[in-house]
Amino acid sequence: MSLFEKFEKTAALYNGLSEMGKNPFAVVMEEVLGPTRALIKGRETVLAGTHNYLGQTFEPKAIAAAKRALDEEGTGTTGSRFANGTFAGHKSLERALADFLGMKYCVVFSTGFVANLGAIAGLLDPAEDVVLIDADCHACIYDGCQLSGAETIRFRHNDPESLDKRLGRLDPKYKGKLVCIEGMYSMYGDIAPVKEFVEVAHRHGAYLLVDEAHSFGVYGEKGRGVAEAEGVMDKIDFYSGTFSKALAAIGGFVASNHPQAEYLRFSSRPYKFTASPSPATIASAHAALDNIAATPALRAKLWDNANRLHAALTQYGLRLAAPPAPVISVLLPTKEEAFAAWNFLIDQGVYVNMAIPPGTPGKESLLRLAVSSAHTNDDIDRLVAAYGAMAEAFPSARVAYAS
Amino acid sequence: MADQGIHGEDDLVFRRVCALLDPLNHKGVRLTRDIDLVADLEIDSVSVLDVVMDVEDAYDISIPVNTISETKTLGELVDAIHAIKKSQG
Repeated sequence: MSLFEKFEKTAALYNGLSEMGKNPFAVVMEEVLGPTRALIKGRETVLAGTHNYLGQTFEPKAIAAAKRALDEEGTGTTGSRFANGTFAGHKSLERALADFLGMKYCVVFSTGFVANLGAIAGLLDPAEDVVLIDADCHACIYDGCQLSGAETIRFRHNDPESLDKRLGRLDPKYKGKLVCIEGMYSMYGDIAPVKEFVEVAHRHGAYLLVDEAHSFGVYGEKGRGVAEAEGVMDKIDFYSGTFSKALAAIGGFVASNHPQAEYLRFSSRPYKFTASPSPATIASAHAALDNIAATPALRAKLWDNANRLHAALTQYGLRLAAPPAPVISVLLPTKEEAFAAWNFLIDQGVYVNMAIPPGTPGKESLLRLAVSSAHTNDDIDRLVAAYGAMAEAFPSARVAYAS
Repeated sequence: MADQGIHGEDDLVFRRVCALLDPLNHKGVRLTRDIDLVADLEIDSVSVLDVVMDVEDAYDISIPVNTISETKTLGELVDAIHAIKKSQG
């Protein structure tokens, strides 16, 4: 039985949550009613814990393209990109993504997680390279580092000076140096000072990878991400992203101006040894990309909604993790309180994400609200009302309590 | 008798790491070289990494995550810091 012993503590916590109330980690969307509504436990619920930032899940052009691909190309590729799983659609989506980003090369992977895993492990040699990562980077970046086998050094979150120090004291034995950061960090909704990181990384001869999974389509004049907003798109060495948020499908990609990015197609095991995204997935992601590129109003609406919600939650005195962004997180001191507050919101017909340490950046727990351009005024009104009631019921979620 | 390694519990690095761990030691466990950081102190692996970042800044060294994941006890962590101090200092 020793195989299972290590899980007992986590299992007790997980099962305990179910006994205490509804379990945020076991939610089932019984029926999807639209981009921002679903039935949960038989109740119509406003979805504010999805990452449907630009509301593309029910975009008619994306649905039509996916149906067409299903009819014409079948249900799956039944193989990896490296073998039989590259169709014309995969190549044309790579071209479209590169064009959208103003970059020369792009490689599509099967998920966003796999894109980072594949890029990091594919680029690094365990014997001679080193990777430096922001302490708050996503699990897939940590796992990519581990899979690469290269020495991995953390620097303080969003702190270019901390990176500077660590690059400065590196042993000259390392041949290749890679720095990994994210554009917008998904737990707090805070953004990276990408321009400063570019300067520090390049001054030390390091390459910079920016994961814009949550900021692609959302930040910058053309929706290219935080790197665009900071005016350094042309200085990013590797840009990774996902189809599962603003593009509302599943898949991931790595773009670059380095022609050698194409080497990932043979150096990256997570590219070579997993099945490629299905034709329908590729078609809907491509149609959604075309749609968000042609419709800047989607981004404007998202920001209107985000600003409105952030202002309302601030008004209630709730303790928010970051300035207005498409992710708005309320901090709570303990996981028990976060769990109770999450249950309170679900009982009000509002679904958000709950996150607890060590999945959160600090020692606190949080409720994460992800805004969508598809949230209607009625959705926003319901969210505001539910959070207002929560602020009343949970004084520990308010700024006044913490100070 | 616990293994004292090459550095005992009166060692300066040991004492400094103890001072950094102190705010996380909610159970008031006596900090010895052979306590298991995660199991005995009941702190998560990310908190250990954060303590290590404080150690890095205190000694102006870099401790790879790979090294930390190979250390289990406080004594092993202290010995790893000594080894890195020697090679990077």
